[in-house]
Amino acid sequence: MEEVDKILIHALKQVGTEVPEEINSVKQFSSELIVEAVVRCIRVIDPGLSSTLATSLPPGMSARFRVGMSLAQACQDIGYKGELGYQTFLYSSEPEIRSLLMFLVEKLPRESAETSDQPTGKSVVLERTIAAAIKAHLAVPWLPPKCRLPLNCETQRQGVMHSFHVQPLSLTNCTKGSSKRHTKEVKDYQRDVLSPVTAQISSQASVVASILEQHTAEISAAQEWDNEWNNQGLLSRFTPQEYCLRKFTRLHKRIEDQLRSAALPSSHSAFGVSRSTSDLCELLQAFKGSVQPGHILTKGTHFTHTQKFNFTQELPPVAKTIPTNHQSEGDVQLGQQEELAYLQQQFQQLCSEVDHLAADMKHMSVTSAQVLDELKQRELRNSEKEEKIQVKKKTIDLLPDADNNLLKLQALVEASAKRVVNLASQWEKHRAPLVDEYRRLKDICSSKDVESSKKLSEIKSLHEKIRVSTEEAKKKEDAYKQLVTELENLPQDASRSAYTQRILEIVSNIKKQKEEITKILSDTKELQKEINNLTGKLDRTFAVTDELVFKDAKKDETVRKSYKYLAALHENCNQLIQTIEDTGTILREIRDLEEQIETENGNKTVANLERILEDYKAIRQENASLAAKVREG
Amino acid sequence: MATTETQLMLSVGLIEKDVNGDTLWVWCYPSVGDELREVLLSKCCLTHDGRDFHTFVFGQFSRTWYYITTMEVQEPTALNKVTHFSVVVTAKDFNPEKYAALSRILCRMYVKHGSPVKMMEAYITVLTKGICQSDENGSFLIKDYDVRKAYLAGSVKDVVSQFGMETIILYTALMLKKRIVVHHPRIEALLEFTRVLPALVWHRKDWSILHPYVHLSDAELEDLKKCPGYIAGFVNPEVSNRMDLFDVFVNLPDSTITVSQSAKEAMAMGKLHKDIGQLIVQSAEDAEKSDSQVIKDISVKTKEILANLVALADECEDSKITLEGLKQRHFPPATENFLFHLAAAEQLLRI
Repeated sequence: MEEVDKILIHALKQVGTEVPEEINSVKQFSSELIVEAVVRCIRVIDPGLSSTLATSLPPGMSARFRVGMSLAQACQDIGYKGELGYQTFLYSSEPEIRSLLMFLVEKLPRESAETSDQPTGKSVVLERTIAAAIKAHLAVPWLPPKCRLPLNCETQRQGVMHSFHVQPLSLTNCTKGSSKRHTKEVKDYQRDVLSPVTAQISSQASVVASILEQHTAEISAAQEWDNEWNNQGLLSRFTPQEYCLRKFTRLHKRIEDQLRSAALPSSHSAFGVSRSTSDLCELLQAFKGSVQPGHILTKGTHFTHTQKFNFTQELPPVAKTIPTNHQSEGDVQLGQQEELAYLQQQFQQLCSEVDHLAADMKHMSVTSAQVLDELKQRELRNSEKEEKIQVKKKTIDLLPDADNNLLKLQALVEASAKRVVNLASQWEKHRAPLVDEYRRLKDICSSKDVESSKKLSEIKSLHEKIRVSTEEAKKKEDAYKQLVTELENLPQDASRSAYTQRILEIVSNIKKQKEEITKILSDTKELQKEINNLTGKLDRTFAVTDELVFKDAKKDETVRKSYKYLAALHENCNQLIQTIEDTGTILREIRDLEEQIETENGNKTVANLERILEDYKAIRQENASLAAKVREG
Repeated sequence: MATTETQLMLSVGLIEKDVNGDTLWVWCYPSVGDELREVLLSKCCLTHDGRDFHTFVFGQFSRTWYYITTMEVQEPTALNKVTHFSVVVTAKDFNPEKYAALSRILCRMYVKHGSPVKMMEAYITVLTKGICQSDENGSFLIKDYDVRKAYLAGSVKDVVSQFGMETIILYTALMLKKRIVVHHPRIEALLEFTRVLPALVWHRKDWSILHPYVHLSDAELEDLKKCPGYIAGFVNPEVSNRMDLFDVFVNLPDSTITVSQSAKEAMAMGKLHKDIGQLIVQSAEDAEKSDSQVIKDISVKTKEILANLVALADECEDSKITLEGLKQRHFPPATENFLFHLAAAEQLLRI
């Protein structure tokens, strides 16, 4: 009971009731305290109901009576099922008060648990403090500059902001170089000559920006490298250096190709077929400018020249629009016409020259093609003829003794054929096992490939698992730290563990009791069965004996006497049994009455009766005074 | 002429694809140079990730004709660990039927015996005697395969029925020794089409201009550029972007012929071409005429034009034509242009 009272007192203190320190149990509650506690609870549970209630009892009896009634009504409105009346509050009894307070305390709305969905950790705590600080700053009202407190000046000023300007830095422990040993000279330079980071920047405002930029670049480069290495690098099975080297050569070659293809003006087809564009191509195209939209020329034929001349012919007329000088109109016109005629003549000449050249070039190209063709054909014929000459020469040498030589030749040919075939079979003996060996090794290699790729994927998944588990471990550690700090911050009264232990003890006790009760019940049942059995036996036995003896009792005197004794014995035994049963019943009644006496004693009925009598007297007095007042005025 | 004919065969080689997926050049006789070997490996369909399987492919590289027959190895066989193989025969002459038959025999021998020695024996007998026993109750005789038959094996009628009047563009290009590039995604169609084109200029009987199967690799393109005029077949559609490779581009699946800008001037066509074109179409549409008759008709017309040209040349000094000489004839400009370029092609132009 003490624990229950402690919980109740604790809860009432949280609601706002001022419970004096020496009160430890509900028994010691006074009526005023009860009323205050109940009213405060109702206020928390349902503010609407408690608008008419006051926390303290008024002095007047009738007022007290009314307050008691309204409190009872309010409690019943909330949902209390037990019997309530003014007497519960004014003349309280411990069990009633305890049950009422327990009901009210349970009805109190629970504190909403703080949702801990957000990730825990130091950074989150930091973020929350930052957010709280910013909120506080924003909540500060704006004041004119002269009225501001010095505390707010710093954050409310306009001149604090700088633009994000970055300068390159030279740091001593760059990520790329950390794996290599720095040479002695580099170390000396870094130690003696290289100025510190803050001094490397020209303007103070860019220090933070530059450092952030440098670090972000390094971190992202390292992450990208990790990513690439884990995805493609491990698969390619080269060492990191080899992989980098290959990548470099590959990219180099690609750039070369792009540059080459962009340098050829004829690489873009007029047929409109899809071409492979790339950023580099477009970039180079942008450099060249839009030079040839529709004129696709493979080789620099004479057409390019004619084009150029077509363009240049516009220049001389343009040059004619020279700003006029101060000569007279007529002279000027004459001069201009002469110039015009001269230039036109020149132009005609040039055109005709161009035409001649064009025709010549055409002729030349055609004839050069013809000459080349002829040359090639002659060369081929020459080589063919040379071969023929060789054969014919040999034949001529052999001609004199034609038949013999023919036979010899045939024999020679057959012999060489046989020899060649023999050699081939010997070679085959060597070749076939080598090819088989090659194939066998290739087979082994590919199966090893399969295995190694499996292992690689396993390694990758292991890495993944390691990463995931480290993250989880970190998260859990952070959560643990946070919870420990929270736990330390919690109020230390009303420890949960004691209550839970008591509850568990009580539960086990109840279990034991239940077992004992069942045992007793079964024992009782057994006994009852026995009793029934015996009573039945007894009745039957008596009936049998009774008959027997009665039969003989008519004839014999002694038997009659024994029959009388039997009947008396039976009667007396019955009376004995009856008395025993009555004793048992009376004992039970005694126990019940004792229990009732205890409970009634707890009701402190006597004290309450006295108080009621006093209050009754007080009410009668009030009534009398009120009646006198009414009569007077 | 058996001896000169047998001297046309250069080498025989063997390419195998094994269960590991590797394609290896395993054997050859007498020897094959590195560059040619590379080219042959790239032509063999076994290196193409097993996508297409071409039984017989042929082409030309550096004036050497190669004929590749590929076969799948069926159980039971003496060859273990080999899934497919190709027999490559290189020769100096163009005769697909002959070499197809020969390589078929060689393939079957190889499958049966599992060793190239037997194959080589057969090859040597063909080389020395011009005859070889085939396991199909017969023998392979070189003299059964005349080169004229090979030249006439293609069908001109199919070409004309596909392109109609545009065949004249092909005819003009061939006459003027221009560069023709043909594209078709299937190699068999490509081979079939391109092999018949040199027949349009029958008077030259020059099949060395034919390169029916070319890839866009540096070595092959270098070799191609050595010829002033050629017919080149490409399976790769990217070739249409290579303006530097052709004067005339034939897209077989779409049945289109395009003349490149640089060659338009030389390939200008006029009335003369129209006449020739009509003749070709009429001759091909005649159901009673065979392919060789069509070719003959075309060659008759060609000889006529050439005879005219020679007559013109004879009238000039040292039997060479000049542009001025042509201009004096007042031909229509297209005809004059054509004759001028034709004279250059036939080496009748004065230098």
